[in-house]
Amino acid sequence: MTAPGSWLWLARHEGLLAWRDLRYLMTGGGRWRGRNVVIVSVMLAIGLHMIAFGVVARYAGMTLEVGTRGFTSITGSLLLIFFLLLSQALEQVTRLFYGRGDLDLFRSSPAPLRRLFAIRVVAIGVATTIMALVVALPAIDVLSFLGGIRWFTALGVAVAAAATTAGIALVLASMLFDALGPKRTRFAAQVASAIVGSAFIIGVQAVAIQSIGTLSPRALFDSDLVLSRMPPPDSALWIPARAVLGSGWDLAITVTVAAIVLVVPMVLLSGRLGGYAIATASVSHGGNRRAWSTRLFRTASSRQLLQRKEWVLLLRDPWLASQTLMQLLYLIPAGLLLWRFYGDSRGTLIVLAPVLTMAAGQLGGGLAWLAVSGEDAPDLIASAPISPMHNLSAKVEAVLIAVFAIFSPFLIGILSHSWTMALIVAVSILVAAFSSALVQIWFRSQARRRYFRRRQTSSRIATFAEAFSSVAWASAAALAANHSWYAIAPAIVAVLVLAGTWTIRPR
Amino acid sequence: MNMERAASALRVAGLRKTFQRPAVDGLDLKVGQGEFYALLGPNGAGKTTTLRIVGGLLQPDAGEVSIFGIDALAKSVEAKRITAWVSDEPMIYDKLSPTEYLAFVAGLWGMDAAVAENKSAALLEWLELKPHAHERCEDFSKGMRQKVALAGALVHEPKLIILDEPLTGLDARAARLVKDALLARVRQGCTVIMTTHILEVAERMAERIGVISRGRLIAEGTLEELRKQSGSSNTSLEDVFLSLVAEQEMARESGL
Repeated sequence: MTAPGSWLWLARHEGLLAWRDLRYLMTGGGRWRGRNVVIVSVMLAIGLHMIAFGVVARYAGMTLEVGTRGFTSITGSLLLIFFLLLSQALEQVTRLFYGRGDLDLFRSSPAPLRRLFAIRVVAIGVATTIMALVVALPAIDVLSFLGGIRWFTALGVAVAAAATTAGIALVLASMLFDALGPKRTRFAAQVASAIVGSAFIIGVQAVAIQSIGTLSPRALFDSDLVLSRMPPPDSALWIPARAVLGSGWDLAITVTVAAIVLVVPMVLLSGRLGGYAIATASVSHGGNRRAWSTRLFRTASSRQLLQRKEWVLLLRDPWLASQTLMQLLYLIPAGLLLWRFYGDSRGTLIVLAPVLTMAAGQLGGGLAWLAVSGEDAPDLIASAPISPMHNLSAKVEAVLIAVFAIFSPFLIGILSHSWTMALIVAVSILVAAFSSALVQIWFRSQARRRYFRRRQTSSRIATFAEAFSSVAWASAAALAANHSWYAIAPAIVAVLVLAGTWTIRPR
Repeated sequence: MNMERAASALRVAGLRKTFQRPAVDGLDLKVGQGEFYALLGPNGAGKTTTLRIVGGLLQPDAGEVSIFGIDALAKSVEAKRITAWVSDEPMIYDKLSPTEYLAFVAGLWGMDAAVAENKSAALLEWLELKPHAHERCEDFSKGMRQKVALAGALVHEPKLIILDEPLTGLDARAARLVKDALLARVRQGCTVIMTTHILEVAERMAERIGVISRGRLIAEGTLEELRKQSGSSNTSLEDVFLSLVAEQEMARESGL
């Protein structure tokens, strides 16, 4: 059964790699301390259950007789989770082709590549299922505790959703590869993943803003506008919702459909995945073109050189640019809100201040990581006749200028309405981005730019510090936009977070 | 400026750097102007650490480093202006072309744009990179990347070139080009200090050779002088090197 190269042998190998990845994710590459991991996991579980209690406890009494209104709410929530899972699965499937890792080893071995890919697709399904359970389990626990064990059928729906997303992601990635070829698929899949992950919630928010003047999806699902367009309660559209509410028959249909959606593409496509991986290995980025940036570099001071280099490298790496900028998709509802209420009272626009500040903090952190830790030629910069402070300040300026440029359309919109609010938002954007950049400087750790996505696991402290300071600055911006002196309180909290982070920075 | 110090391109005195254990342990070194100096030693001997300190990439725990009479620790920017560093892993940007890379490096060293453009073109031609001058480096082989890095080191006309294993991974043709480029610079008065594991390269190119072990210089001189120190004549540098290192290890184990 466990002969080298057999299904079980490969599955065990993949399991070992997945376990090592999980350990890295939990420890950030540090030493494995079992007790600490258990403590953090228990605290996380308690926290998630408390949040779930606050969100879903009032729905514990729901039964199959909830009618269209209840089914709409449940289906909306399921769709939100489904699209998030699909986004993750699509990215993982794409990584199958482009992650060089051990593929060369397998390709040079007599082990069948088809078998390896089939196991890796199943592994993606398992990983997506685990993610679905992390999201859904606390809510299901709370609902079962308050409303009875019938709610445990929702577990089956979560697993089915994960399996479905893995199957759909495989089909989508394969279609992209066939249509665009190995050179463009990675970027296209990246963009597709970002859009898929955010499209549903952004779309719902956009409709909510346009139709009922709020960002709340729940208010939209409860509105007559939506309910009047929904099918009757016995419609097939509500099968997953009925399965969540304890219908065994509907659960059986949901799980069967999910199994078909996963297994059929896996059987049909796993043989082609090896070919895709080989094609990505022979991609050439070449092409002799006269580069426009040469002149930019020839007519610049050393400070400008370092800044322009950062921008050129980012612009020339679509994958990295999409990684960095995808969070800006979530600003679309904010932009819509600005457009919808342009000229209305100041109160409506106040919500923009924290949203933009939070986004600027996160974007600033990402760009600062690329500029500082993701420097591809650290020895060149260190051996150049410029002081380290000059280098760092030039890079931080590059980050702040980029952030300011990206947010300037919003600022111009707000400026037309209120210059004081525009000033407040501009300052808070810069301060939040600067704070995140400081955290990245204090916790810099040389890494290749392609490991951008792992930056959040390389230092838990830096990730949390960045998030907390962004949240604190966003709160301060909201209060300041409301002309409240209480804005000083979250601003002090942000400064304290930064001071605390500075004291525990690695030396 | 001290005249005795100015006569040497590089002067290192009492250099110490400790990580988990001492990497450089009281090293003294002197390299003359226009000299080709090879620093040899077993793995972990402290060669790279020494050169990284000289290149301004690392701060020592103690000691002095003087480059053409400039205190490289106190006035690092001034010293870096006349120094170039090339490591075994070419430090270039994948998303830039060789032309852009050289323009960037020349700008960092504050070169005049027109002069830099001419020098870049000449270097790219010399290193046989002209056909790829406007391609991004991401598809380049190790040898091509190393040649781009070397062009970056030469474009700003440094007086001291520091190279850490510059021939690692290069094919015979690329290695010959790099060696020729370095020898030409030495003939023009430039000073080169290089580490290498390819002892034949050190034997054929270096005027003087330093052997380092456990962070200390254990022997130094021309090949003939090293042969005398090791007590063996008409032997290759490899034999001399192995003999010197073994002698040092035995002395250390016997507590001498």
